[in-house]
This record gives sequence, C-alpha cells and structure tokens, in this order.
Amino acid sequence: MPMADTLSPPPTAKQKAIVEAHGISKQFGDLEVLTNIDFSLAPSEVVCVIGPSGSGKSTLLRCLAFLEPYDHGSVYINGKLLGYEDRSGKRVRTSEKRVDEVRAPVGMVFQHFHLWPHRTALENVTEALRLVNGLSRGDAEAEGMAMLEQVGLAERAGHFPESLSGGQKQRVAIARALAMRPRVMFFDEPTSALDPELVGEVLDVMKKLAADGMTMVIVTHEMGFAAKVADRVIFMDQGSVVESSPPATLFRHPKSERLQQFLNTWRERHID
Amino acid sequence: MFEILLNHYPVLLKGLTTTLVVSLSAIALGLVLGVLLAFGLTSQYHLVRWPCGLYRSFWRGTPILLQLLLVYYLLPEIGIEIAPISAAILALTLNTAAFQAEIFRSGISHIPAGQIEAARMAGISAWQTRRRIIMPQVFRLTLPPLTNEIITILKNSSLISVIAVTELMRVSEQIASRTFQPLETYLAAALLYLAVNLVLARISAYLERRMTGGLATE
Repeated sequence: MPMADTLSPPPTAKQKAIVEAHGISKQFGDLEVLTNIDFSLAPSEVVCVIGPSGSGKSTLLRCLAFLEPYDHGSVYINGKLLGYEDRSGKRVRTSEKRVDEVRAPVGMVFQHFHLWPHRTALENVTEALRLVNGLSRGDAEAEGMAMLEQVGLAERAGHFPESLSGGQKQRVAIARALAMRPRVMFFDEPTSALDPELVGEVLDVMKKLAADGMTMVIVTHEMGFAAKVADRVIFMDQGSVVESSPPATLFRHPKSERLQQFLNTWRERHID
Repeated sequence: MFEILLNHYPVLLKGLTTTLVVSLSAIALGLVLGVLLAFGLTSQYHLVRWPCGLYRSFWRGTPILLQLLLVYYLLPEIGIEIAPISAAILALTLNTAAFQAEIFRSGISHIPAGQIEAARMAGISAWQTRRRIIMPQVFRLTLPPLTNEIITILKNSSLISVIAVTELMRVSEQIASRTFQPLETYLAAALLYLAVNLVLARISAYLERRMTGGLATE
C-alpha cells in the first residue's frame, strides 16, 4: 500500500499520528471497562494489543473506531476528532455522516468475520466500492478481483460465505476492508474464531500487509505473531494499559507482575 | 355449487377481481408502510420508537371490522369524501402495515449486529445499509410469516362488504338471496377464496425454495 507521506511529506507530517487517543474512558453501566487510556499510532506502525479476556482490549479498538462511543477523552483520526464536536463550549455527538467521514481511513476486521451472507465473496468486496465510491459494476468487480487476488481467493469470487471455510471468510473480510483503501487497519481478534489449522493462512495475509507498510492495530491472543510482526506490543489489564514496548522488551523483560503472570499462564498452556 | 359457479360466473369473477384489487393494493401499500414502521420500531431513538409502537398497538389491538367502519365514517366527518373501495383499501393498508411492521421488526432483530457494523465501517450509510444489507435478508427470513399475513388480508377483505364494496363476499350474498341457494353459493365463494390462497401459498413456497442460498447462519 503506497503511503502518501513518502511522496512529498511536510517535515512535521511524517511524525504525525494516524490514530491518537487521549485519556479515553468507557463504562458499561457501573462497570468501568476502559480507564484513562492514551494511545498513538504512527504511519506504518504495527501495534498488537494483548491481555486477558475482559481486559478491555476489544473495547479499546471499538472505541477507536467509534463502534462504541467513548465516554471521556478524545480520539483523533488523521488529526480530526472522532464522534464528537464542540458546539459553543459543549461537547455533542456528531452526525453519523460525520463519523463516517472521519473514520473513512480506517478498515476493520472482526472476530466473527461478519460477511454479508446474501452476497458472494466478490459482492462482499465490491458492495462499498459501488455504494460509497460510486464505481460502476465493471470497475468495482475489477477492483474487487484484485483485492481477492491479494488474499489468495480469486477463485472463490462467486462463492457465498456459507460455502467458505472460516479462514477463507476472514480473508474475504480482509479484502472487503482493503478495497476501501484504508490508511490503517483494525483487527479485533481476527483468528480467535478459527480452527487451529486455519489460523496460519489469515496470519500470513496480515504479515504480508505489515510488510507492505500497512498501519495496523491488532487485538490478538497470538503471541508468536505479535513477537514477530509487531513494532510495539501493548499489554492491557482491567481496562488500563499496563505496559507498552517493542515485543523483544515486553516479552523478555516484563516489568509488571501482572504481565509476568499473564505470560507464565500462556507458556504453561502452550508447552503442554 | 357448480351450477352456481357456471350460472353466475361473470358476477362472481367481478367480485373476485375487486377482492384481489383491494387486497393486493393494501398488501403492497402496507408493505411500504410496514417497512418504514419496522425501521421506526428498531430505531435507536425513543422518540421515534414510541409513536410507532403506539400505532402498532392500536391497529393490532382492535377488530378489523371496527377499523373499517371507523375509517369509513371518520373521513367524511373531517371533510374527506372517499369512495367505499378507497376507504376499504386504506383501512386494510393501515391494518396490515401494523402486522407487517411486527414481522419485519422481528426479522431485522435477527440480523447480527456485526454485519451492520461491518457495513458502517466500510462507509456504507445507515440508510443504504438498511436497503442493501438488512432488508434483502429480512425479506427472505420473513417470507413464511409474510405469506400468512397476505392470506389473512385476503380473507379479511371479505369484511369490506359491510361498507358496500361489491367484492366476492357481497356478490355471494346477493346471489344467495336471489337464488335461495345460500349453501351452494357460499361453498362456491369458499372455493374461489381457497383457490386464490392456494396459488399464493405455492408461489411463496417456490420463492422460499429458490432463496435458501446465502442466509444468515450466525
């Protein structure tokens, strides 16, 4: 994926974060699931978010995409505030349309794929190209085929989701997100719903994306993948960021007791 | 019975045509209104949900015969002169819209929220998501209860004879009183209603078989 900032970057823009969050908090009823989170994502950076279930990592990703409105703090995509605006000193929700505009650079892949079952693999990829970008059927299909090619599924273009394996469904979902030419991709536990033997094909596609310079945030339980592909790993527990470092540091020299415990539990489970 | 059918088929057919025109118009108009109401019932805004819920409760909770008479007598009262057949179509439309809305609401609630999130994240607007992602699946999911509703409206259209629309039921009454053969006449009418509804049921079953591919499995 070519990055606009490698062409003619104003000197400061290169440092500018694509996604930035300041002090975001989120409550479900009385339960505080996110507490005062700061987050920043540089162009081409790959960040993996790990942590025990219920630690708030998926909620963080969903708040960064405004699929869950955050209660406090602010999220900026390309410098634009997401979901809220100031109206005479008071913070109010923006229109759905404005939300769409601000998060247009974000593509998202879900744990349970969420392909549209009444559309073929190719139609899943072309739907937004036609509806949002206004491409003709022919142009959208050519573009869609190129995207399916990229995830190795061109020969499944005419299949409905029900006749695809979990791994294939997730690759179609990645192609669907890529079709809109996102500047950043969010992955919410993309391999957690897959049979073990299908995890590899999805991770391979993601590795290739990372190698091509795609900016990515990945909520995952795949420690091996995080260690190899991430530029930075964030460990979350009980709604807070506990540690955030390059994988070599984070996995080999965990500072906090909670991360040590988490890694020990993981090792015990994966060595047996 | 067959004698009645043979001797009176021009009037019977005319009555049947009126029945079909009134019912099918009401079903089609009710579908449009029903879809809009279903969107209202599933709205995230209380101020939209509430009046839609009230509408549904009224039209589901009162007898259709009463609704017919109310529409027929209320409209002239507020200065709207309307032909009996139009009043009949209007009343049946308002009635079936409530039932169809409830059918569609239940269908919409079966579409996994994640599919809608995926559409929104791809930049597809809320309205286009309804039109292209949600409703095509809802129509497939709700075809059996929708068929039931269509058949119900066709049968309930017999009630519009009370506001002097000469549809199949009223025509039958007229023939019965002229020929003094009520049993044979009403059996003939029953046969005609049954024939139409059997055809409708077959069409629905055919569509259902054809549309099994590509439905929500989550």
